[in-house]
Amino acid sequence: MTLSGSKVIESPADLEDLREKLRKQLKPSAKSVRVCIGTGCAAKGARRLYELFLQAAGESGNGVEIEAKCVGCHGFCERGPIVVVQPGNIFYQGVEEQDVGEIFRETVIGGRIVERLLYEDYITGEKARTADEIDFYKAQMRIVLAENGSIDPTSIEDYLVSGGYSALARVLRTMDPEQIIAEVDRSGLRGRGGGGFPTARKWRSCRGAEGSPKYVICNGDEGDPGAFMDRSIMEGNPHAVLEGMIIGAYAIGASQGYIYVRNEYPLAVDHLSRAISRIRDLGLLGEKILDSSFSFDIRINRGGGAFVCGESTALMASLEGRVGEPRAKYVHTVESGLNSKPSNLNNVETWANIPAIINRGGEWFSSIGTQSSKGTKVFSLVGNVENTGLVEVPMGITLREIIYKIGGGIKDGKSFKAVQTGGPSGGCIPAAHLDVRVDFDELTKLGSMMGSGGMIVMDQDTCMVNIARYFLSFLKDESCGKCTPCREGISQMLHILDRITHGEGETGDLEKLESLAELLTETALCALGKTAANPILSTIRYFRAEFEEHIRDRHCPAKVCRGLFLYEIDPELCTGCGICKKNCPAEAISGERRKPHVIDQTKCTKCGICLEKCTFNSILKV
Amino acid sequence: MSIVTIDGVKVEVEAEATILDAARKAGIWIPTLCYNPSVSNLATCRLCMVELDHGEEGQLVTACNYPVRRDIVVSVSSNRAKQARRGVMELLLARAPESEQLKELARRMGVEGTPYPTVTESQHNCVLCGLCTSVCEEVIGCSAIGFTGRGVDRIVAPPFHLTAEECIACGACAAVCPVGTIEVRIHESTGEAEISPFKARAKLLVCKECGANLVTEPVIRQMFDKVKIEWEEFRKRASLCPACRRKRSAEALGLVAAKSREVNFASGKD
Repeated sequence: MTLSGSKVIESPADLEDLREKLRKQLKPSAKSVRVCIGTGCAAKGARRLYELFLQAAGESGNGVEIEAKCVGCHGFCERGPIVVVQPGNIFYQGVEEQDVGEIFRETVIGGRIVERLLYEDYITGEKARTADEIDFYKAQMRIVLAENGSIDPTSIEDYLVSGGYSALARVLRTMDPEQIIAEVDRSGLRGRGGGGFPTARKWRSCRGAEGSPKYVICNGDEGDPGAFMDRSIMEGNPHAVLEGMIIGAYAIGASQGYIYVRNEYPLAVDHLSRAISRIRDLGLLGEKILDSSFSFDIRINRGGGAFVCGESTALMASLEGRVGEPRAKYVHTVESGLNSKPSNLNNVETWANIPAIINRGGEWFSSIGTQSSKGTKVFSLVGNVENTGLVEVPMGITLREIIYKIGGGIKDGKSFKAVQTGGPSGGCIPAAHLDVRVDFDELTKLGSMMGSGGMIVMDQDTCMVNIARYFLSFLKDESCGKCTPCREGISQMLHILDRITHGEGETGDLEKLESLAELLTETALCALGKTAANPILSTIRYFRAEFEEHIRDRHCPAKVCRGLFLYEIDPELCTGCGICKKNCPAEAISGERRKPHVIDQTKCTKCGICLEKCTFNSILKV
Repeated sequence: MSIVTIDGVKVEVEAEATILDAARKAGIWIPTLCYNPSVSNLATCRLCMVELDHGEEGQLVTACNYPVRRDIVVSVSSNRAKQARRGVMELLLARAPESEQLKELARRMGVEGTPYPTVTESQHNCVLCGLCTSVCEEVIGCSAIGFTGRGVDRIVAPPFHLTAEECIACGACAAVCPVGTIEVRIHESTGEAEISPFKARAKLLVCKECGANLVTEPVIRQMFDKVKIEWEEFRKRASLCPACRRKRSAEALGLVAAKSREVNFASGKD
């Protein structure tokens, strides 16, 4: 089902005619195989699977119409490649090339289930036939990711059939810009990039700002370690982002849009570029869109890989072709941004929420979530949980629900220690606050933040000092170096943390860290620097004793920091096989054959090779 | 016009003036490092932090680039502002412990030394304020130096760390450098000026009358390119030192008798 040629849609009526025509072409009985080609699944060979299914579908004959199509990310990347068969929504995971024939023969043609490819609950052992039966998906509520997994991101037809661009047609036909902003205001939508600034207020300021042209910009420079929310949206449903931007541009009075995507997201760039050129051909982008007086175009700019370019002023400097460094924001970007013109920057997820808000109403959107944070939020749940992946949940869900219900709890039966939210600028939240309701303000109160949606779960074996050190060293590498506090302050803090994790901590170090952290928050130029101390402040706040143990006792309770714990041999478990002795580079292990061995602590360099080599688990960290 | 109240002193300033402008008008000193009125605002050093009164909780802002758009109340002497400025200065002192200029500024601020060790490597005490690169780009129009590297690896350097062909060895970067990192070195033996540490060298012009060192040759060339005055006398006078030039002007005006030519101006002094 494809649109022949490039018939230009000249009016809202044309659009609806086309949609009807496309819908009529759909055969409800048709069988289809949907192969996820998101980056995660593609890395595991999903592209090849798609080709094989396409080939099989072509060869099936017998008058049976079978469609093989590629779809966007389902979020459950660790179980990929994911293949869903219609009818029945049969959810296969971990599919490999040799499974294609069987799936095709059994399920697509025969209507039978291939049991071994179903998801199996790791506790009950029950098999799930569809995604809805899997705990990972049960507690999710999908608005932004709703169409991921069912539409082909490279097909405008799929997006139109699912109701795409009807919100755009509606605003151009029946709403004036003020009404659109009022609708977004009613929805209570707040910026998904991290700041949580009310979207409608930003739009209104930009609309009211003097200057022409005005710009709308989509921030797709997602750079938090372990986060891939925006990538999956851009890859899986690019038209939703574009539709949101066109509506926003109309409301603000902008004539040019930019999407700033990091260069490490080639698939997102590819899907967005194709989507833009398709809607430009169809007349949904360009001069006088849908017979209105509104003209607007979008271009894609690829980022060069600097984390700081996710900051609005640095992003705009980069768009202008200058070095991506932030500037002071005493004059807001809505007033003077890109090329010193009024510029409205929103994150990918914020833009992708707009069509749904217009279609279903601001009131509907605001019925989801908490008092201050409405709608849903996509998180990338990673770390030591059973189920990792992208999850979209209503605001106000508790951390416990996300980690235990969706994430399935801590891996390998270990206990929970902390969850890091908000990326490198966020903080670590301990078990005592697991029942906090996730929204912008609650997380901030805990010394962390919503950020763009990174969520890293850590188990008992995680050293919090080391974690603080990790995030700080990330920020040290990503600091642009423009302002003194960020460049020098982060280095000073890292220097102290390095000492502590090497067993050279001194009394007063924590106070020094705290005062440096305050200095950074108060004096840094941009948000990167102002929030850089969050990982340290929150870990000191909740895990002070652990820091003190490192400093005072030169001991790492999680046994992570090398040199701050000892290796010992458990005489009960040691069989005296001698492997540890043979491999010890410091010749610190002695013992007779078949008798328990001993480590000479004065010789031991704490390299950990004995632990790695022992097959009887008799080496202990103490 | 807006009224800025700084530490109790009221001053009126033009629209879009900064807090620093207001403070200078009020005669109140705020330490600055990366501020220079001849280039666009940098606000990189963060030394000029002051506290803006917001009613409930104040906000720390940089005085050098905060635009005054309404009547505001500012505190330079509040504990919070002082603490912030002290903290920034201590970080700067840790980076550039040998800069006499920086130490002098610190003393004036009442900051004696720093509790921090030196953990970032600086190029001859460079604090990366950006004045040199700005003046080279905005005022001189050469862009012979710029920032390269990111974060702690950031340094000021000519393109590709090679001797910049664009550099006219004018010395503007050295003139604005607040910590003494950049110097103009005169090599008498070769008659050249060198911009240290960028290694750019250019031949010095000497005064046709008295032989005193003038600017470098490329500076004069650039000036002739920019200033299109088709007057032979102008070019002649450009090859004289200021003292000799004044003398020639005076002669031209007939105010000095021709015999005063014998007076020795070789010292170059007025």
